Amino acid sequence: MGVYHQDMYRYAAWLSRDRTVAEDVVQESLLRAWKSLDSLRDAAAAKHWLLTIVRRENARYFERRRLETVDVDDLTPSQEALLAEEPDHELDDIRAAIYRLDEDYREPLVLQSLMGYSTKEIGELMGLKQGAVLTRLHRARLKLREDMEEELASGQTQS
Amino acid sequence: MNCEDYKLAIAADPSREDGEAHVAGCAECRAYRDEMRALERRIGRALEIVVPELRMPDLPDIDTADVVSLPARRRFTAPVGLAVAATIVLAAFVGLRMIGSNVTYPSLADEIVAHLDHEPYAVRVIDEPVSDRRLAKVVPADVASMNHDAGLITYAQTCVINGKKIPHLVIQGERGPVTILLLPDEAIDDAVELEGENVNGILLPVGGGSIAIIGERDEQLETIQQNVVNSVTWST
Repeated sequence: MGVYHQDMYRYAAWLSRDRTVAEDVVQESLLRAWKSLDSLRDAAAAKHWLLTIVRRENARYFERRRLETVDVDDLTPSQEALLAEEPDHELDDIRAAIYRLDEDYREPLVLQSLMGYSTKEIGELMGLKQGAVLTRLHRARLKLREDMEEELASGQTQS
Repeated sequence: MNCEDYKLAIAADPSREDGEAHVAGCAECRAYRDEMRALERRIGRALEIVVPELRMPDLPDIDTADVVSLPARRRFTAPVGLAVAATIVLAAFVGLRMIGSNVTYPSLADEIVAHLDHEPYAVRVIDEPVSDRRLAKVVPADVASMNHDAGLITYAQTCVINGKKIPHLVIQGERGPVTILLLPDEAIDDAVELEGENVNGILLPVGGGSIAIIGERDEQLETIQQNVVNSVTWST
């Protein structure tokens, strides 16, 4: 149980970039999964099935709320909470960089780096060809690398 | 494979092992691979945010008997499938634990105090308010309206007391979390003191229903009681 809940929550949190929204999305997803349990034909695909539900629920949530895009410097407490995790504050800078990534790049990165998805599986979930997935993953990491280098240069300048 | 191809590939998937023949003879690509893998380790750690305890969703009403028989009715054959069923069925059990169960309590007050033991994660000390959406879902307009005078609401969940679904809220008091149970259908004549091992509280008659307010043993509840009662208006 814990494994699926963790995956669902982390996926929702990085999709929505908001811990409170993620909790709501996971709740809605569990409810929807409960109602449509019959549609799970392949037990081995359970995780993929649940993450697909989370993805749809997240999209529904934002369609309903029509939330404005937020800037990383103007966050609500629950958004900030995603970036400042105890006891790993040394990772705050890279969390902020991931947060700033466009969703198109952030989502495949989360699926690959956190969920262990292959590019084929990411493509199936996101409705993309494998080539497009590879391009997004490549660009995501280059952007993070660039941000980290800028952060480092900025830190050296200030010190 | 040339350097450009290798760098594209390793940045798209730092765990890939092909291209080792190229890396063996190319110091630049070897350094690039090591850098990407180091970055990937940081990304992985950064993404592993702390996951809060699962808040149970408000599952549709179903008989407990149906919940118990669910794994047998479904088509799961593998442990993974059973784990999914367990995730959801356990949520159902917790969310609906009082519906159809044979547990009885001597009084409403006893059930309320016992209920707090079931949801220890509800009384964490946090300062993160629940969303308006969440609050509106747990306190629906046809049950009650509630303004923000009650305090910072940090937990909202539909629970079952005396066989009825009711809003279970938590606000933050001076000494710690304070639990509020809105009981629109539980009319009482007089206030009832609620005492647990480490908590104290009161069940107040409010209109045609009642409200339970429970805090830490040394929490001063008078002001909170007044604010909560003033903030709630029954819809029926």
